[in-house]
Amino acid sequence: MVSHHAQSLAVDVQVSSTTRRSVWPRFLTSEHPFPWLAPITALLLAFGVYPLLYALWLSFFKRNPITRMNVFNPTWNWGKLLADERVWGAIGHTYLYTITALLIELCLGLAIALLLDSDRKGYGSLRALMTLPLVVPPAVTGMMFLLMLDGSFGVLSMGLVSLGLWPPQYPILASSGSALAGILLADIWQWTPFMVLIMLAGLRALPKEPFEAAAIDGATPSQAFFRLTLPMLSRIIALAVLIRGVDLFRIYDYVKVMTDSGPGTATETLTSYAGTIYFKNADFPYASTISLFTLLLVIVTSSIFIKLFKVRF
Amino acid sequence: MQETFWQKRLRDVAAVLVVGVFMFPLFWWALTSFKPTSAIFNKDEIVWFNFKPTLVNYAVTMLGKSRAELAIESGNTFGVGGASSYDSRQTIIDSLIIAVGATALTVLLAVIASYALSRMRFRWRQAYLNWILSQRFMPPIAIIVPVVFMFHYMSLLDTRLGLIFVDTLINLPIAVLLMKSFYDDVPVDVDEAAMIDGASRLQIFWRVVLPMVKGGVAATAVLCFIFSWTEFLLSLFLTNSIRTLPVKITTFVTSTGSEWGFIAALGTTAVIPSFIFILLVQKQLVRGLTLGSLKE
Repeated sequence: MVSHHAQSLAVDVQVSSTTRRSVWPRFLTSEHPFPWLAPITALLLAFGVYPLLYALWLSFFKRNPITRMNVFNPTWNWGKLLADERVWGAIGHTYLYTITALLIELCLGLAIALLLDSDRKGYGSLRALMTLPLVVPPAVTGMMFLLMLDGSFGVLSMGLVSLGLWPPQYPILASSGSALAGILLADIWQWTPFMVLIMLAGLRALPKEPFEAAAIDGATPSQAFFRLTLPMLSRIIALAVLIRGVDLFRIYDYVKVMTDSGPGTATETLTSYAGTIYFKNADFPYASTISLFTLLLVIVTSSIFIKLFKVRF
Repeated sequence: MQETFWQKRLRDVAAVLVVGVFMFPLFWWALTSFKPTSAIFNKDEIVWFNFKPTLVNYAVTMLGKSRAELAIESGNTFGVGGASSYDSRQTIIDSLIIAVGATALTVLLAVIASYALSRMRFRWRQAYLNWILSQRFMPPIAIIVPVVFMFHYMSLLDTRLGLIFVDTLINLPIAVLLMKSFYDDVPVDVDEAAMIDGASRLQIFWRVVLPMVKGGVAATAVLCFIFSWTEFLLSLFLTNSIRTLPVKITTFVTSTGSEWGFIAALGTTAVIPSFIFILLVQKQLVRGLTLGSLKE
């Protein structure tokens, strides 16, 4: 490829005498990326980077609930965070939820993708239908499952009870042992299609030859899957797990809508705890600290994952 | 591996069954929106089709009629009343303004920036791309408290414009990576040929390359629209009187009971535009969701 600079210089000489050229300020027509990137950079700095630094600054202040004044006290919130049992509970719920959801959604997604990976008539429509849950607003999904899991008239609850799979006296979302599982159900419904979609894209991109060779050598379908399909998909699987994992870690919509962290604190996650501190206690510096702590955990966990599974973008 | 006749049939049945299971909540949701209250709250049996379908739920949420008004119209005033606090027309309008505004701003910024990132070679290009990517990994909760303060000083709190800005921030990483991958698909020869003809960068961008990635722009716009349309956390923190659909729908759950008929009606309405759009950009969806890193 010839250097753009050399060419644009030539063009400059050629067109500089025409009138159209003078309409634009000089820097807008140069080869420098600055004018192209300035608007987006400004927005990202103003609404992304600056608030992040502000959050860090805010976490160094102690809020006085009576005077509603913030007093500089850099270790107060961070010390409080480490001693806060609810934070540790929330970390536990967040990791439990993230890991369980990832495993289920990945396995289910891969299985459904294998099932739907066919060129026969009708499968295209089935694949299209399968993506629909993805675009339902998560808050609406939460409401949907709240309705269906209602202890006294929800269709899923009533179905489970009448099949003898669930004791009628314990409403699923109002029992501390099962509330998180109820939320998980909404998550699985909404996001398994995401895994299906990614896995399908991966499956469709696989080369045919190794499979034909394996078939000639007499490999069984399960051998072909574990020796060929899975290793060839590993890169995409790692990427999908990373993206979904980061999203799962900041789970908020379902918890807020379905249980509001309850019963008690049985479904409290880091994000929902930060929300509670913000809305109910109005302790903004502490809410900021918890949010930053969540970000820190995301960065550390995903970095370990990226190193461990050698994810490349 | 050739499937036998029965293996094929087995796969067909399993595939329809699985997709059916995933469609059930949507079906139940839409069905509920046509049910009268008595059918929704039936504790003795699951009501399938044994109810008289009604449009009351839609009339209350979309046309802003109170249940009392509807009762008078229908001549049955037994056990109904109360003002309509479930009117959601303004919510739908606000949600549309915010989603369309955020989409327009995101696409505008991304279309410009990604062109430079795809075509120009500069020293910190990869670092810049990584920085944009890292924004996608940041939980919105991490910035929300300071943004509330910022918006308070800037008089952006509880405004549509404020929400447009933060939604744009959330959408930008995906939009930029997506647009860049579409630009990368256009051969550089196209730019070079236009340059030899004496076109400036701006002219090449506007007259030559942009028309070639029209489809990509449309796909990016649809994804941005869906992300803004479904966004919940930011609107919950940043607005009070202006409500987007996902937030508004949660206000129908009250301590005295949930208005499931209205919730289902509004929920069904909320889902329809996204469904239509998503069926249009099925193919590009994967790129968008995977930050554009996975080429099909």
